[in-house]
Amino acid sequence: MAEKQYAVEVENISKIYTLRNKNNQYKTGKKEFYALKNVSFKIERGDVVGILGTNGSGKSTLSLLLAGISDINSGTMKINGEQTLVAINTGLNPQLTGLENINVKGALMGLRKKRIQEITDAVIDFAELGDFLYQPVKKYSSGMKSRLGFSISLALNPDIFIVDEALSVGDKGFAKKCLKRMEKLRDEEGKTIFFISHSLPQVREFCKTGLWIEGGELVEMGEINKVCDDYAEYVEFMDSMTKKQKKKFLDEKFEKRLIEPKKKRFF
Amino acid sequence: MFKSVSYVIKENFTNLYRIYSIAKYELLADMRDSKLGIFWNFASPAIQVFTYWLVFGIAWGRNAVEYRGITVSYLPWLVVGFACWWYIRPCITDGCSAVFSKTNVITKMKFPVSVLPATICLKELFNHFTMLIITFVTLFLCGYYPNVYWLWIIYYMFCAFMLGESITLVLSVLTMLWRDVRKFIASIMRMLMYFSPILWNCHFKSHVPFHSILNKLVKANPVYYVIQGYREAIFYQRTPLNHPAITLYFWCLVGGIFVIGCILMYKFKKKFIDMI
Repeated sequence: MAEKQYAVEVENISKIYTLRNKNNQYKTGKKEFYALKNVSFKIERGDVVGILGTNGSGKSTLSLLLAGISDINSGTMKINGEQTLVAINTGLNPQLTGLENINVKGALMGLRKKRIQEITDAVIDFAELGDFLYQPVKKYSSGMKSRLGFSISLALNPDIFIVDEALSVGDKGFAKKCLKRMEKLRDEEGKTIFFISHSLPQVREFCKTGLWIEGGELVEMGEINKVCDDYAEYVEFMDSMTKKQKKKFLDEKFEKRLIEPKKKRFF
Repeated sequence: MFKSVSYVIKENFTNLYRIYSIAKYELLADMRDSKLGIFWNFASPAIQVFTYWLVFGIAWGRNAVEYRGITVSYLPWLVVGFACWWYIRPCITDGCSAVFSKTNVITKMKFPVSVLPATICLKELFNHFTMLIITFVTLFLCGYYPNVYWLWIIYYMFCAFMLGESITLVLSVLTMLWRDVRKFIASIMRMLMYFSPILWNCHFKSHVPFHSILNKLVKANPVYYVIQGYREAIFYQRTPLNHPAITLYFWCLVGGIFVIGCILMYKFKKKFIDMI
């Protein structure tokens, strides 16, 4: 019974990417690179997890793994329930109108015809596009596209939501509206949510647990405010460095993630 | 093996509406691109047939084709074969990039990748219907009227669909592994067109060396079965039951390719994202 409590159990997972050499070829000097290295954590059901980390630290890779889109190279991962990655701009066809795109994206997400008809009004209402609904999406501004995309994504009803920087688009009013909607999911429906964002205030307000990934490794996990404070301190520490120091620091961090190619093939 | 086959079949059948919608809206988007829209779906194959008829039928003076004692003049004979070929060809060439062209979707959301080949084949099936309308109009003008044997076209259409689906399953995965596959197929298709009975009846005359072996080899081409089937249904009033051996061969071949496609699809379904 105790096991059932966890929505996600992850143990020692690693994800390895192969890097090309400088001439953009795979053949020689093949190097491998840890996108994620020995990450382990357990997330309880109904928890709201904010994933923090600098660019290129492996946040999005983790979200892809959690969503079941990408496969892990080692370790074990157990996910109890159905998970969905909220992809806002994906699946919109620029040639078609906003209204048609509700059908397009709805179908891409795997909704039934009846369900799409049910949600259409709610989507129109939430996206607040007005008469632009009948214009082709190629004429939309990026903010309008995201509005439409996000509104359609809300129609899904999985157990685990993974939101990768979805709320950093659109204007403040819309972001607030989205956050409110997400809060409703969190509080009333008890969904497990993974929330990736660079906006610390948003994360502090919304999440319960913090998960800080740096250089592909899990640095800290715990109460959100504590993790946020530590992360903010780290970002400040990075900023305070001189250009040279920073370069050295980043290079070292990169080196640590590399896996040297096995040379035994030659000798 | 059985696991992968049942996985692909199950995924396709549980996502029928998804397949239908993707095909429908992709067609619609194609049409929105141009002012005349659906007109081009009719016009471009019609112009193609007209060109081939002018070159081979009029200029080179290809005569009527005789087969099993029934003589059919060149234009109706050509148009039927061409209609069929214009379904199989785009299925295979577009099918190569079935998965690749949807990269932005499969990397950003959980998506049943194995339905993508079916969406291409279904989309092309619509174009095939427009081509069939042109074909039937031509046939009426040439004095051929429907009879009960024409219903076998539906069976051969299904054959073409399954052939396209199986080949596309294999090729779409291979294209993800090596992008060169798409270019290779694009050039090989031109060759395949001349080794299928589209513009000529693919029968080597007895003065050609090794003609009996060549004639057998031509029949090994699965496209031969489908195109010849369309013609038999329309002109010669024969059914697949008249030649059970080649029918069995065709379905074994398609089944084999389908199984290979399923195995590939199952093996790589979560690895596509790393191959981009």
